[in-house]
Amino acid sequence: MQSTQPAFFKQGPKPLTRLLIFSALSFVLIVGDARFAMLGRVREQVSILLYPLQWLATAPFSAVRTTNDFFTKQTQLLAENRELHDAQLAAQAQAMQLTALEEENRHLRQLTATQASQPQATQLVEILYNGRDPFSAKLIVDRGDKQGVRSGQVAIDAKGVVGQVVRVQPLTSEVRLISDRNHMVPVEVARNQLRTVVYGMGRAQPLEIHNLAPNADIEPGDILRTSGIDGLYPAGLPVAKVIKVDRQATSFARIICVPLAEIDQHRFLLLLEPPAARPPYPAEAPASAPVAKKRGR
Amino acid sequence: MPVSSQILRPVSVWVIALSFALALLINLLPWQSSVSNLSPDFVALMVLYWTLNQPRRVGVGWAFLLGIVMDVGDGNVLGQHALAYSVITYLILSRQRLFAVFPFWQQALVVLGLLTLGQTIMLLIQFSLGASFIGWGYFVGNILAAVLWTPLSNLMLSHQRKPLSDSL
Repeated sequence: MQSTQPAFFKQGPKPLTRLLIFSALSFVLIVGDARFAMLGRVREQVSILLYPLQWLATAPFSAVRTTNDFFTKQTQLLAENRELHDAQLAAQAQAMQLTALEEENRHLRQLTATQASQPQATQLVEILYNGRDPFSAKLIVDRGDKQGVRSGQVAIDAKGVVGQVVRVQPLTSEVRLISDRNHMVPVEVARNQLRTVVYGMGRAQPLEIHNLAPNADIEPGDILRTSGIDGLYPAGLPVAKVIKVDRQATSFARIICVPLAEIDQHRFLLLLEPPAARPPYPAEAPASAPVAKKRGR
Repeated sequence: MPVSSQILRPVSVWVIALSFALALLINLLPWQSSVSNLSPDFVALMVLYWTLNQPRRVGVGWAFLLGIVMDVGDGNVLGQHALAYSVITYLILSRQRLFAVFPFWQQALVVLGLLTLGQTIMLLIQFSLGASFIGWGYFVGNILAAVLWTPLSNLMLSHQRKPLSDSL
């Protein structure tokens, strides 16, 4: 149909050609991004272009809040209040770790080697907006590479773990919430130090623990806190509360938990500094030992 | 009223660019996560509008670029929106002369179908990357978008419409 048009109406390549070119390009991008994660530069450049719009989209809301504050309090008080609020958040974060540490200490009094879980430096960030994509639970926050945010940092609020920084751009970064479908947090039950992993099930869904035997010692009301085993999450931060344990479900117990942090209510989050690097895993020794034993038999 | 039955002033590229910037702005507003499903995708809507009304100005290339920008803004896998927008833009272009003379309510139905197709493409991409289905609420925004089509088209055309001059 297009080819029979008079030359006057011709407008460059046909739409179908363009579609083929651009959809091929899209597929390359999808594969390159999802499988090989090699498009960080492209993303950074586009995100710098996008930042004015992001700023503009959130500016009216910030402005309204600021004017509200201005009319209710004097500026002096306001600044002081903000400062105190930040300080309180930071202090609460440390207090959370402190109580956990005390408890841990009581349990491990006999052991000489205690875990170095020092209170860490934190950074306060403001949430710009939450991602529109309903497939993932993500927040965009207003600090990025330029302000020293690093991928892998843990985000908390006053009540517990909120999520983790998964992607850092020059001026913004993405925080994946613990309820995100792909997210898992190594935790332990505060009551008896039972170690397990809690999985996110998607935005606005509860969290779940998989692969725990039906007779595992876990009850509704138990508090789960980070175990610190993965080296990413510092030990002792509250994560979730068990609300339901179904031991009849399958060969594994079905354990439903709710996050302790108010993961969709806040304007501010705290980013914890990443913990010190751990010694590397012993690579070959544990793997080869059973093999040798087997061969001996 | 369909576009073809009126005399319209030409559109400048800046108006198109500004409308896309506004649509991006609306998409980037800090929606509450509870209503974000209900909010129509204004960028897709605007791409469809301009492709339908200015097929010589806006086409698959614009759609692709805006899709990339949406992917970065949302933190999606790069190329997801780009592919969906490119496909629906092509479909509009391939029957543009037919759709352009439709009354607005029929255009709205076409838009509803295309937006749903676009979201289905994104859904398939997410499935292929291992996501699970997130419920039919995902598609509700499209119905709102279709409802918005007529007022939006009238609004966008209003600055192009010439008052019927007495010289004719």
